This record gives sequence, structure tokens and C-alpha cells, in this order.
Amino acid sequence: MKKNQTIISLTAVLAGVIIFATSCVKDLLDQQPTTDLGANAFWKTEADATIALMGAYADVRPLFDRDYYFDGHGEYVRNRGNAVTNGNLQRGDAYHASSASSAYAPSGYGQYFDKMYRYLYGGVTRTNYVIENVQRMLPNATATSLPELERVIGEARLLRGMIYFRLISMWGDVPYFSKVINSNAEVADLARLPIGQVKDSIIADFDYAFDKLPPDASEPGRASKPAALAFRGKLQLYWACWNQFGWPELQGFVPDAAAATAAYNAAAEDFRKVINDYGLELFRGGEPGEIDPPGLAEKLPNYYYLFTPIANGDPEIIMSFAHGGTGTNQGEELMRDFAGRNHEGSQCWITPRYEIADRYQLISTGDFAPPLIPMNPATPGARTADRSAVNPQSYVDRDYRMKSTIQWDYEMSLGFASLKVTNWVPWIYKAGNQEVIINGEKYISYNTDGSNSGYVFRKFVRNTPGLGRSDGNYAWPVMRLADVYLMYAEATNAVNGPQPDAINLLNKIRHRGNLPPLSGTKTANKEVFFDAIEQERIIELIGEGHRGFDLRRWRALERVWGPPYGDAVLRIDTHGEIVSRYYQNTPERTYQQNYIFRIPPGERDRNPKLTQNTPWL
Amino acid sequence: MLNSFPLSLCPRWLHARWILWAMAPAALCLPPATAPAAFFQQQSVVIKGRVTDEHNLPLPGVTVALKGTGTGTTTDANGNYTLRSNANSGVLEFSFIGYARQEAAFTGASTRNIVLRSDQKALGEVVVVGYGTQKKVNLVGAVSAVKVDEKIAGRALPNASSALSGMVPGLAVNQSSGMAGRNSATLLIRGLGTVNNANPLIVVDGMPDVDINRINLNDIESISVLKDATSASVYGSRAANGVILITTKSGKGMRKAQINFNGNLAIVKPTKAYQFMADYPRALTMHQRGAAVSQQPAAWQFKNGTIDQWMALGMIDPLRYPNTDWWDVISRTGNIQNYNVSASGGGENSNFFISVGVQDEKGLQINNDYKLYNARFNYDYKIRKNMNVGVRFNGNWSKLTYALEDGFTDDAPTNTAGFDLQYAIAGITPYDPVSGHYGGVMAYGEDAQAYNPYTVYMNTLSRMNRQEANGSIYFDWSPVKGLTGRVDYILTYNNQFRWNANMPNQAFNFQTNTFGGRIYVGENAGIGNFTNTGYKTLMNGRLSYQNTFGKNHELSVMGVYSEEYWYTRSQSSSRNDRLHPSLHEVDAALTDIQSAGGNSSAEGLRSYIGRLNYTAFNKYLFEANFRYDGSSKFLPGSQYGLFSSAAVGWRFTEESFIKPFTSRFMNSGKLRVSYGGLGNNSGVGRYEQQETLNTSNYMSGEDIVRGFVYRKMVNRDLTWEANTVFNIGLDLAFLDNRLTAELDYYNRLTKGMLQSSEMSILLTGAYEAPRANMGNLRNRGVEANITWSDKVGEFRYGVNLNASYNATNLEKWNEFLGKGYTFINMPYHFVYTYEDLGIAQTWEDVYNATPQGASPGDILRKDLNGDGRITGDDKKAYPNLQRDRPTTNAALNVNLGWKGIDVAFLFTAATGRKDYWINNYNNVNYGQQRYAFTWEHWNNPWSWENRGGAWPRLLGSSNREETTFWLDDLSYIRLKNIQVGYTIPQNLLKRIGVNSFRIFGSTENVATITSYRGLDPELTGNRSNAYPLNKSYSIGVNVGL
Repeated sequence: MKKNQTIISLTAVLAGVIIFATSCVKDLLDQQPTTDLGANAFWKTEADATIALMGAYADVRPLFDRDYYFDGHGEYVRNRGNAVTNGNLQRGDAYHASSASSAYAPSGYGQYFDKMYRYLYGGVTRTNYVIENVQRMLPNATATSLPELERVIGEARLLRGMIYFRLISMWGDVPYFSKVINSNAEVADLARLPIGQVKDSIIADFDYAFDKLPPDASEPGRASKPAALAFRGKLQLYWACWNQFGWPELQGFVPDAAAATAAYNAAAEDFRKVINDYGLELFRGGEPGEIDPPGLAEKLPNYYYLFTPIANGDPEIIMSFAHGGTGTNQGEELMRDFAGRNHEGSQCWITPRYEIADRYQLISTGDFAPPLIPMNPATPGARTADRSAVNPQSYVDRDYRMKSTIQWDYEMSLGFASLKVTNWVPWIYKAGNQEVIINGEKYISYNTDGSNSGYVFRKFVRNTPGLGRSDGNYAWPVMRLADVYLMYAEATNAVNGPQPDAINLLNKIRHRGNLPPLSGTKTANKEVFFDAIEQERIIELIGEGHRGFDLRRWRALERVWGPPYGDAVLRIDTHGEIVSRYYQNTPERTYQQNYIFRIPPGERDRNPKLTQNTPWL
Repeated sequence: MLNSFPLSLCPRWLHARWILWAMAPAALCLPPATAPAAFFQQQSVVIKGRVTDEHNLPLPGVTVALKGTGTGTTTDANGNYTLRSNANSGVLEFSFIGYARQEAAFTGASTRNIVLRSDQKALGEVVVVGYGTQKKVNLVGAVSAVKVDEKIAGRALPNASSALSGMVPGLAVNQSSGMAGRNSATLLIRGLGTVNNANPLIVVDGMPDVDINRINLNDIESISVLKDATSASVYGSRAANGVILITTKSGKGMRKAQINFNGNLAIVKPTKAYQFMADYPRALTMHQRGAAVSQQPAAWQFKNGTIDQWMALGMIDPLRYPNTDWWDVISRTGNIQNYNVSASGGGENSNFFISVGVQDEKGLQINNDYKLYNARFNYDYKIRKNMNVGVRFNGNWSKLTYALEDGFTDDAPTNTAGFDLQYAIAGITPYDPVSGHYGGVMAYGEDAQAYNPYTVYMNTLSRMNRQEANGSIYFDWSPVKGLTGRVDYILTYNNQFRWNANMPNQAFNFQTNTFGGRIYVGENAGIGNFTNTGYKTLMNGRLSYQNTFGKNHELSVMGVYSEEYWYTRSQSSSRNDRLHPSLHEVDAALTDIQSAGGNSSAEGLRSYIGRLNYTAFNKYLFEANFRYDGSSKFLPGSQYGLFSSAAVGWRFTEESFIKPFTSRFMNSGKLRVSYGGLGNNSGVGRYEQQETLNTSNYMSGEDIVRGFVYRKMVNRDLTWEANTVFNIGLDLAFLDNRLTAELDYYNRLTKGMLQSSEMSILLTGAYEAPRANMGNLRNRGVEANITWSDKVGEFRYGVNLNASYNATNLEKWNEFLGKGYTFINMPYHFVYTYEDLGIAQTWEDVYNATPQGASPGDILRKDLNGDGRITGDDKKAYPNLQRDRPTTNAALNVNLGWKGIDVAFLFTAATGRKDYWINNYNNVNYGQQRYAFTWEHWNNPWSWENRGGAWPRLLGSSNREETTFWLDDLSYIRLKNIQVGYTIPQNLLKRIGVNSFRIFGSTENVATITSYRGLDPELTGNRSNAYPLNKSYSIGVNVGL
């Protein structure tokens, strides 16, 4: 019995030891992450530099790739909301506002861009991280790898420059930092740097990028020399405008006419190089392409295809941010924002306003058509009346870019569901989701309550199936050759008046719409030529986010919307109903607030050194 | 019954053999338990006898003591005892846990057969505490114990957490939804201890982290709630929010194997549900009324003709002109069925408990079903006199079917269908069985995105199966008296599989006989498979020693070494284009478009635990605890935290200078004071403190390319969130224990709450703000638990009142706090609101108020700071009201019994919470189309004809602001449960070989008194949630064989 007891005791002790020994988890308190790369495993090889740069591209992309929302600040595009996912940078959080319809309205938007401010600085941090770490690799780099590393730095500096450019164009003076931040204390009491100094730093970034980038980036989605040049030119152009037209809302900024001239010239110089030195040309040679009559959309002009994935990597697109289709989680949401329910359940957040239609010129005359007449289709004969806005035939003989850009009643687009083509979808304002018979064929009309003008966009809406509404693979252009042509014309015109090469460039763009060259009256002097340039900017760049920035840098809000305390500017629809009023009895202060954005007040609560722009005090 | 206070050295409550017999040997209770051998050589008389229970079954292990001598013995397996006495006459004392004490006088050698009667009250004598049990009289921590009897288990409750409602003072139990499978209650001990995970730790039979809602209520023997630092600190960093210890049944101490069957069946109705208006023409006129606020009739979305047509044809053609009563279509009378069979038994060397149970719940929403199967096996074996082994095993398996995360809705912003119930217009035909089509919008001008909830609740279901296995084994050995070594090894495993395979369908327009624009589920509907698995291991080595020194000094010490390890992994895959609608595994779909994801994480915790108990003269109690925890979540250097506590107790009624004054009315009184610390690491992610890079991939042409970004800024100093708890308590028993009272006051300060730090906006666009030990939160409160029970003739009754009050105060925040409902020196989430002046009745009212863009019919707000504008500065803070939870909870339990009939009531009540009644279903600023109106929209809005309207006008200005107008008091009194049972007398049952038979009826959430205008004052949920709480009526039986 006694012996038995001992054996059992021993067994027990042994069992205990075994349990202890085997159950003890190895390195119990040292658990390593399973899907995130440990930071100490990175920055070992030169390939890591490129991988880090790709991360920076991926996180800078969402700061620019929904710029079309900004068109709501102009007078020709309505943005009733947007498809961003709150809290998700890649899904557009930078553009998210507590009220999207207010943030992207023609007035009263300046306080809605705290998140944009925040994420732009996030982009600064992303690029600084690449620049600083790759710079550390340079001293030990071999002669063969050095250019590649310098190219990486150049791209990161180009991106950083673009970000600071965006910052100063919205907020004026902004805090500036160009190194990796390791603790909040390093930036907690950063003050705003005067715009001129920030501009010089951006120029330095663009200079370096121009120096180190390849003339032609072999990989689509990465930057090349002309991109650096074009952005440097654009910055000079904006700088010239601020000095030319003034920016009274920006405290401490003193416009300087001489600086304006110098900057216009510098800008023109950069643009000229972009245009001449790299063999770039407009998409499909700038040819207008084919067009179907109203009511058909089998043949669409080349301009339409410029904004579909077919144009990815085209030389016209000097710089773009690439997107991936299904499964990459890097899709754009152009279809979701620009199309309706019949297009993969899209939401039609963004629509052309009625007023854009009269901006499209006649092919036959090369000048504006007599204005359309809005008519209620219930009125007898409205569908066939001459110039009636609800008569499809009123839209013939127009700039090809009209059909490529907007849809009026009975225009067709291809519908998609479950990644397959469903049928042609006729757009009929205020008669959506109905069964209609056209030429004996049954269709279900375009289903959306997103339009209040009578038009929907065709630009940016794919006519090929296979991609969901949030899975677009179109490389979003942030710099396009057509824009460079127009900016070149603007810069040279500002200093020297209409120049033949500039007129020629404008005519190239007009040719894309199958419009005849500008008549002599449109190039007679600086003023009329500026109008022609503005006209082309409106038509050519619609939906790309330029108009609001243009109006502000030209100080043109009063010209477009009338003086303070004025009558309302109405927006109507094709039926003649008034759909909205802007700038009605609007105080001067609101204009000022539209010219400069609000520094995020939450940040000012924390950082007493951060000053506010005067209109927002 | 109990006639006098026991004076012996061994009061009945010292018989610590209730649950863990092995852990509290009888030797302790009876110093010296058996007399020295020399004793027997003296001249003596022998008293013999047999002790049985009420059913005449022998009771082994009953303590038989010779009163006043310290001599005693215990009964053998047949209930027989033999005792020698020096004295020729005396009094024998018979005591046994769970039975009323009895005395019997003897003279000379004699035979005394005794029948002991069971005593429910006595069962509270030993309380399960962390890593052991303690005698209730010697407890110095704040511990509340609940014994789960057939009356609790017989209620038609969907889970064990709900059963705790109204049972324990200081434990707030809140039902947040009535959704089958998701209707667990949230448990909060003594207020919100932290803004991080504030849930208590659940420990089942020594296994931490068991899901309380997956335990079969019928398997539970008792539940202990550890509320203060002393009682909980052996759980150290796991216990910052208190601990709930659950002990399952075993066969210990049983003499005869028993088989029990329990079954109940309940039907379930909503306590209150939304009253959607099943009248589409009327709904369209509501849209017209809304449109009339700002538009000329010509521009109205809905024309009179559409409405007239619908009104006329709706009466004869419900398919084409439906007036659907959605609530009727998408809800049903639910039911809960619960069946359970168990067997238990014990002998000298072993005991077992085995049970299987099934719970089948059909929710109030169509296709919301939940089924839970449970199996348990508990077994202990005495290998040798001083060695025990045992296992605890529980396996459970559940099947849940649901449409959306919250049942009818889903609050996640990414699920755009989740909010759509508010768009369920009456003008949609749910389904036409003839054509097999699901309806869509038909009225001219209606938004094609209006919602057919029926198709979603039929065709887009998620199904989730989950299996868990929780097993533990132990071995203990007492090589020398008082010293016990014990090893536990616990392994829990879970596996969860969720799949969805939606059925393609499209909105049909029955008027035009065409498919409309809305595709509910596209033709390329695919399959999604989601697997989560996890396991956890826990190894404890425990050494304990207890002994009595001298006569009056009891000492016990315990040390534990523990290692815990968690591992979870998830994998998901989905493909488009299912091969056939009947298939649901991912291989049954085309491979052209597919996606996959997977991840795993692990965590380790190493702990050293110690406890010392010292009791002197049975009056002075002392306890000290420590736990030293190291967590893999923190960086080396900050990994370990020491959490210790100490407590003293004084049983003042045992003092000779007090006893004479109190003994006539007071049986016992104890004062206890404890102070100590606990920790928490739940606020920090498993790998959050590690420097890592995140992927952010980019495209190069058609190809995806790798990209890494540095998104983390690590706070290298981050360490444990810690709290200190001070507790003072008083346990009193009066009038022969008929009245007992437990009173507690606590003051708990949580320091260094783990929160994301606020960084400059210059950084937050790139970095996730590192967590910091940020703020201090104080909870103070009082608790009372008062019980009266007595018996008058055959009539037994008991009343228990428990109540608690808790106040939180945010004392410190290391960073800037903006204006809002979180602020220093205020409760966490206090009421911060605009004050309203009521609805403006006239333009006069509007002009008299501060300009705020109002018209008659709008809610006017007060300009509190008098600056002539209504801005955020006009909000007022209420320091005594909080938005998230009540400050005061109370419950009243009443039990009545007469012969075989038993009746029980449970009332619960709460106050101190106010919140806004603003949700998606009482929207007065609805859109132009597709809004699902309720009858309140029809009746309540203010208008020139309805000046007294309870709501502001439709589509007015600023009427959805958070003003006091919408602020409701969420106080309530609720008759939570009534139960009536009848136990058939034994003598009738004996003939058919049945031991016991009880039949009962029960009803839950019977009636509620509240001024809250919303669904239910207990319901938390979000503003789209529409799942009502359950009201149920059940019948059931308990049969013992």
C-alpha cells in the first residue's frame, strides 16, 4: 500500500512536470505580428525603396483622385453628395464632409475641408518617410543603383510638392515640415509659414524631381519629367495669378505685379518644354472621332474614350493615379458617382447643370448656338419644338465633346447589372424607371433621382461591362496635356497677349470637338482670347475639378455670381423649373470665405500658434 | 426549525462541503474532528443512530457533535453513526450542509434516528471565490452569490446573462436587443469602469473567458459575482471590471443517482413594436404634406391622381395597388423551447454530472432562428484518500440564421441596405406566390430604391454555425495535512463558420408586368464563406496550505502560477457566380471573380498569484492578495503589472462586549473593509505596441504592386490601465436569520485608461494615434441587498430587495477635450443638450424667441448664453444624468409557497438615464419619397389644425436637433417575471416511480411603466434598430427520476 502510494505520487509529480513542461508556450510574452511587417525587417535592400514609394503613391492617390467633386464649386456641375466611405482614406475619406452637398456647393464650402487638410498632411508624412529613408541609403549606393534611388526620391518629392501646392491653393499660408515626425511634440506648436516660402520649397521639390525623373516613366501610374515640369509650371501660373489678381483674404500676402510677370513667364517656359520636348500629343492624335446621332450611342467621339480605361497610359495623360479593378481594392468610384441605378446600381451623385448645355458651341459656326428653350414635355410639341431643351434634335451640330460629356432626353447608355450588359438605357428626365418603347424596342428608362437639371453625365461612365460600381480601373488624370496647352495659352496671353502658337494649341483642342479654328474676333486681344481660353477650360476640363480653383485664382466669383448683396443666380432645369438659387443677398464675408478655406478650428484649439484666415475669425 | 443561536465551536456555516468537498476537508470544521484514541479508553456511553432526509434516504457525511464538548463524528455511507460520550446525558447536534441543524437530547446509551430537513438558506454558507471557496461568514470581499435553482432555470430565458437581471445589487443587466441569437444582456459590475472593454470576466469552473450565453442555464449550480478588489484581485489584470464565477453542477454528496428532465415552451411577443402605416395613399398624402412646406403643388412628387387611383384600386386589386402591413409580413410570434436531460450521482470515490440540452429559439423576425445544443460532463474521482482528479467538459453547438446584423437593420455604414427599413413603403407587394416575383415600387414618382424588406429577410440570409469545446482536467494532492498541490489544465476551442449565398431576385412591377429598376440580388450572386477558429490554453499550478494554530488562529495561504495563451485565426473567401442557387460552399461557384483573406493573432499572459487568509478567534478576519501579470501586448519593460489588495473583517457580534446587547435580535454582524488594485489591458490590440509597417498597395499598369507605409507611432511607455477599489461593507442577520442585509459602499478609481491619444491634425492623416494612459475615471456607489424570509404554518414566503446607485466622474484627461458629452469632472457621457421652449404656436412665439429660423410648429430652443444666436454654446450640461446607462438599479424578488404551490415575482427598476428619442422611424424631416410612415406621423405632427400636436410640424426647421424636447427619461419599473408552479406531492408520485414532478407557467417582461416614447427603455441599440424586446409566456415541467 505504502509502495503503491509512492508510485502514484511519483506518477503524479511526473505528470505535473510533463504538463508544466509542455503547456508552457514558448516565448509566451513575445508574440510577433502575423500579417504586418516588422519595421526592423524593412529598409534592408534597395528594392525596399520602391516598395515604400508605392505605399506613398497609394496613400497620396486618394488625395487627388476624386477631384471631380471640386467641380461643385463651379457653376456647371452639381454635386448632391458623394460616395465616400467615412473613415476610409482609400475610399475617399479626404473628400468626406459632414454635409457633402454643402461642401461641394458653389458657395459656403470653406469650412468643410478639415479632413482634406488632415489627409494632405498625411500625404506629406508618407512622402517624407520615403524621402528621408531613401536619402539615408544614398551614401552607400552603388553607381548603378544611385539613379534609381534618386528617381524614387524625385517621385516622392514631386508628390510632396503637389500636396503642398494643394494646401497653399486652399488655405494660403500653411504649416510646413519636410522630415519624418516621430512624436506629436515636434509639430504640436507649428505655426503657419508664409505662402511665398512654402512655394519656394515646392519649387525646390519640383526642381529635384525634374532633375531626377526619367523622361518617360515606363510604368503607368508613375511620374516622369514632363509631370514635374507641368506641375512646376502650374504652380508658377497660380503664383502669377495670386500676384496679378491679389488674394486680400490671405493676411500678409502682398501682390507684386513684377513677380506675376516673372511667374507667368516661368510658367510658360515650363509648359513650352512639356509641349515641345517630350513628343507628347493629344489622345488619338486630337482627332474628333466618330459620332452617332442623338438617341444612339454605338459610336462615340474620341473625347469620350479619353475618360475610359482605354486611355490609361496615353501620352496625353501626363500624370495619373492608377486604379485597379475587381479584387484589387484599388478601384475608383467614377461610375458610382456619375451613373445611375441601371449601371451596376450606381448612385448618380454628380450631374451636369442645365447651364452647361448652352456652353457647347456649334460645329457649323464655331460659336455659341442660340440658347435652348426649357420646356415642359407635357406642353404639346415640346419634344419637337425648335431649340426646345427636351427635343433631342436641338443637340445636333454641337461640339463632339457635348455628346461625350452629357446626356439629354432620349440619349442612350449601356446598362449593366451583375457585371453584364443588360440593355441600352434611355435617359428621360423625371421619367425614370419606366418602361418606354423607342422605335418598337422596349427599354427601362434611366433610374435616378440624382439629376435636377435634365442632364446626366456620360463622361467617366464606362460603356464596357465587367467592373462593379466601385471597382473602376481608370487611371485618374491629375495632369493632362490639354490642360497644359490651355495653361500655356493663359500664361503667354497674360504677359504678351494672344500668341500664334497659343492660338494653334487652342485650335488643336477645339478640333477634338470637331469645332473649326477660332475666328479672328476671338483672338483679337488679350481679353477676348482669355475668354476663349476660359471657354475651352470649361468645356474641355469639366468634371475634372478645375473650375472652382480657376474662379478663385482669377478672383472671378463676383464676375460669375454677381456682386455681394446681389440678386440670386438661378439654376434651372430643362423643363424651366427653378431648381436652386445661389448667392442671393450674399454678404461680402461669404465671398471672402469662398476665396480662402478655414484652418481647422479643432487644431487651433490645441495649437495656439496656429492663426486663422481672417474671414473665418 | 432554527430556535437558538448555535453556541458550539462549530457553527453550521462552517461546514464547508457544499461544492468543493475536497477543497475544504471536514477536518477544518471540527477541530479536533476525531478524538484521540486515549479518549475511548475511558468509561463512556455509546449513542447510535441513523440520519435520513425527508424521503427517508440515508444521509452520509452528516456531522454529529456532542454539544459543548468538541467531540463528534460523521455518518457513514448508510447514514449510520456511532458516538461515545463520557457524560451520561447530553445533547447531540446534527448538521449537514443544505439541511437545517437539529439537536437531540440523549440519556445513557441510546439510539437516536434523525430526519434532517433541507434548508435552502443554509446553502449560502460557502461561496465560490477565485481559485477556491470561502466560508461566507469569513468573507471580507464584496461577493454576491446566486444559487441557480429550477425556478430560475425554468424561466423562458434565451441565455444565462439575462437570468442575472435583478439578482445581484451592483450588477447592471441590460437587454440590448430581442434578436434571436443576439439577445444576450450586457453585464456591467458597478458602473462603467473604463471606456475600454468594461465587461466583467466570466469564469466557469475555473475557466476564464467562457461565453456566458452559451452555457446551459440548467447546468449551473451557482453564480458568484466578485465586485471589489479583494475578491477579484486573484484575477488581477483580467478582473478590472469584476468577475462572474459560474460553478456547474456535480454529483458530489449525492447518494443516489438522479435523472432530471426539464422542458419548457414559450411563445414570444414584442413588448412594443413600430406601428407602420399600412395605407399607401395616406402615406403619399404625408409626402404631399411634406412637399407643401416648400413647393407649389405642381412640383410635388406625388400627384393627386396617383393617390386617388391607389385609394380606389387598393380596395379591389391588392396585388397591383398594395397597402402592405410590413410589420405583419416581416414579424411573427416567436417561440423558445428548451429541453434538458441530466443525470448525476456520486459515491464514496467518485461523482458525476452529465447533461444534454437543446434550446430552440424562433425570433420575432421571420427567418431569425437560433438553436443551441449543449452537452456537459463533470467527473471527479478520488484516487487516494489525499488525491483527486477530475474533468469538466462542455461542448456546445449553435446555428444562427439572420438577415442583417441587428436583425431588421444593420448600423454599419458600409452596409447601405442596413438602414433601409425606414424606406419600407406600404405600396410594395412583398411577394406574389403565383408568379414567384418579389415586388418593387409601382406608384408614379416613387423612388425605385424603396425597400421590400421581405425579399431581404427571405433571400439574403447569413447562416452562422459555431462549435465550442471547453475542457479542463485537474489533479490535486495533499501530501501532508493542510497542504494541497493542484494542477489544472484547460483547453478551450471554438470554430465558427458563416456563409451566405443570396438568392438572385429583382423588384417586379405588377402594374406593368415588368421588372423594375431595382435589383435586390444580381444574377451573379456568389458565395461567401467565413471561418473563425480559436483556442485558448490555460495552465495553473497551485499550492495551498491551511491550518489552525492554537485554537483560534486559522491561516491559509495559496500561491498560483498561471500561463494563459490565446490564439485566433480567421479566413474568408468568396466567389461570384454560384453554380446553382441551392449550393453554398465556395467551390460551388465560378472562379473568375474571387477573393480571399486570412489572419491570425496570439496573446500570452503569465501570472503569479498569491493569497493569504487569516482568521483569529473567528472574529478578526484578514485577507491579502496579489497578482503579478505579464502581458505580451506590452513592450518589454512595461509588460508586468502588480495588482494587490488587502481586506479586514470584524465579526463584531462575536465580541463578548457587544453580544449581550445584540444577541436578542441580531444573529450576526460583520464589518468588512477592503482596498486594492486591479488592472486592464483590453484597451490595447495584440500587436499594437509593435513597430510594424502596413500594406498599402499600388497599381503598375494592370498589375498590383507591393507598397508599405509606416502608419504606426508607438508609445513606448504604454502600460497597464489600473484601478484601485475601496470597499466598505456590512453583513447583518437579524431575527433568527429571517432578515439579512448586505450593505456596501465602494469607490473605484480607474487610472491611466488606455485611449488613443489626440495628435495634431498634421499627423492623424498618416498615423494612427498611439494609445496613451490617458484619463482617470471614478465610480462611486452604494449597494443594498435585503432579504426577509419566513414561514407561517405551511406558508413560506421570501422577499428580496436589492438596489444600487452608481455615479461616474471623469477626473482627469491628459489632453484637450472639446465641448461635448465627455468632460472633466462630469459623468462619462452626461446629458449635454439644448433646452427647448416647446413648439412655437404662433408667429408671436417665434418673434419672442431668439431668431433661429423657426416658423410656427417648430421647436424653439433657448438662447442660454443670451448672445442672440443659437449655437453650440447654448447647450446645458446635466451632471446627474447620463446618456448610456441608469445610475440606479433596483429589483424586488418575491417568493411565495404553500404546500406544493409556488409563486414568484420579479420586479426591476432603473432611473438616472435620459436619452434622445430620435431615430429613423420618428423622422419629421423625411425625404420626398419612399418614407415608411408610422401612425404617429399621421396623428402627432403639429399643424394649424392640430395645435396640440405632440410632434413639431413636418419638414420644419431644426426639429431633429438634440433638444430637451426629444430628451426622454428612461426610468422604468418593469414586472420582469411571474412564475407559478405546482409540485405534485411525493406520495402520489412514488407509485409511478417518479421522484419529483413540478409543472409551472412563467411569463417574462409582463408589464412596464415608463415615460419613454420609444420602443423600450432597456433597449440600447442604434437609431435604425427596430428589433423589439421579447415578452414571453411559457409552460414547463421539471421531472426527477
